[in-house]
Amino acid sequence: MLDVSDLVTAYGKIEALKGVSLHVESEKITCLLGPNGAGKTTLMMTIAGILQPRRGSIRLGGTELVGLSPARIVARGVALVPENRLVFPQMSVLENLLAGAYQRSDKAEINVDVERMYTRFPHLRERHQQLAGTLSGGEQQMLAVARALMSRPRVLLMDEPSLGLAPLVVAEIFSIISELNRDGTTIFLVEQNAHMALQVAHQFFLMEQGRITFKGTPGQLAEDEVIQRAYLGTRRTAG
Amino acid sequence: MDLLDLIDAVQSVADGVLFGATYALLGIGFTLIFGVMHKLNLSYAAASIGAAYASLLILAGIEAPAIFVFLMAAVAGGVIGGLVYLIAFKFIPLANPLATLMSTVGLLLLIDEIIVHSTAGVPLNYPALFSDVIIPMGPFNLRGDLIFVFALGCVCMVVLLLLLYRTKLGLATRAVSQQPIASELCGISITHVNVLTFVLTGVVGGIAGAMTGAAIGMLSPLLSLPLTVKGLIVTVIGGLGSIPGAIIAGLVVGGLENFFQFFRGVSERDLYIMLLLFAFLIFRPGGIFPTTAGRD
Ligand SMILES: Nc1ncnc2c1ncn2[C@@H]1O[C@H](COP(=O)(O)OP(=O)(O)O)[C@@H](O)[C@H]1O
Ligand SMILES: [Mg+2]
Repeated sequence: MLDVSDLVTAYGKIEALKGVSLHVESEKITCLLGPNGAGKTTLMMTIAGILQPRRGSIRLGGTELVGLSPARIVARGVALVPENRLVFPQMSVLENLLAGAYQRSDKAEINVDVERMYTRFPHLRERHQQLAGTLSGGEQQMLAVARALMSRPRVLLMDEPSLGLAPLVVAEIFSIISELNRDGTTIFLVEQNAHMALQVAHQFFLMEQGRITFKGTPGQLAEDEVIQRAYLGTRRTAG
Repeated sequence: MDLLDLIDAVQSVADGVLFGATYALLGIGFTLIFGVMHKLNLSYAAASIGAAYASLLILAGIEAPAIFVFLMAAVAGGVIGGLVYLIAFKFIPLANPLATLMSTVGLLLLIDEIIVHSTAGVPLNYPALFSDVIIPMGPFNLRGDLIFVFALGCVCMVVLLLLLYRTKLGLATRAVSQQPIASELCGISITHVNVLTFVLTGVVGGIAGAMTGAAIGMLSPLLSLPLTVKGLIVTVIGGLGSIPGAIIAGLVVGGLENFFQFFRGVSERDLYIMLLLFAFLIFRPGGIFPTTAGRD
């Protein structure tokens, strides 16, 4: 589905991505783990077209995304739920959703999708007139996800959706993630919460200092001693 | 103070409030551009006067009705607005906060120079509508031309608000001003919104320029600096980024200006407006309607 190869993105002289290659499989949940400052957000922003890579390629089902404007990339079917949600604080919940559908012109279908979002996220229906800035953190995250879905993406990118949320809300977010995936959405998820990610994701990558240092299935991840120590906080009693 | 003086004072303040619609429009222009770009466009008022001049030059020699002159000012304003974006913003590094301040000051001076050179610095008469109409209201007389200017300003504001709050492009404009990165992620082109905002505020500015000309009865290159200052004061007092704030502040500043002129004379009047600005900067730096929405 989504193929990233040898991607290098730099801020000035500092390379935040030093040749990243990975593959996001169709209709699966792929999870990218990694410590703060590893370059996860930089990768997401590069895929979405906000940042321009120095070199490398990003292909979505065969078409090259590097060099396209963010608007074109959204139109091709990639939507990003950004880190820290970034809802439009002074716009109503409904207007936030409509902004998510900005690329589309099928008005009737857009209204159908708004209704769908309200069904999936009942909190948003209750508060559809309310300014997004007045929602709770969890509600803002739901809104950010719904806004991204309004573009009808083929791949949904999510950058640390659980950041700063209470455990109950995190659980809710993750159940929504697997629900979306069951309905056929391909998901590429950035997480620091490896425990939660292990319960939903099918494929894992670990990024450290701008490089992919591990790739594997949930089983392999749980087996790996280094990851055990660093991300799962459990020390295996060496046998 | 006897009754006649009081009537004169009230009359004068009312005229000021009506003329304040011009300040309100200029304030809205400054505020909208600041909203989407987080930059001040210091050439805005000069460009507005420039658009009013352009409407006279375009129609020179033609006996055009006043309403047509106004329309031309609006069109010229839109074109000049687009040019201002191209010259003073498009190729300027936006990360440097001083760069566009300099480029727009440069443009302000340039526009003034162009006006002075093409008119030899001589003020030009500007047509007014309904200048022969006086509506008596009790002891007061409402000037037809000022009422027209005020009404036009109100129509402008309503149309602008409808554009901003009832159309897809308005949604995009507000989105960019609140959260530029998320806007791009939604597929909104920031460049398109920026150009659109400059053209749109240019049209509003052109109309404000024409309103100024119509209310005063003439255009002079000496108008652009005081209008720049008034526009900025209105923007700050209203709250940077707030349209209702700009409207209220524009009318208040217009009214107070005439109030102080009536009681203290024309030479002192701007002094008090400046004091008002300082009072706001010290006691209420966010203006009447501080924009609380943080942008990170
Ligand atoms: N705007 C920026 N300018 C300069 N350096 C940045 C910027 N954003 C991130 N970085 C640097 O790039 C590296 C990767 O950051 P980021 O992609 O945000 O990591 P993560 O999302 O994994 O925490 C870090 O070293 C960070 O300091
Ligand atoms: Mg990050």
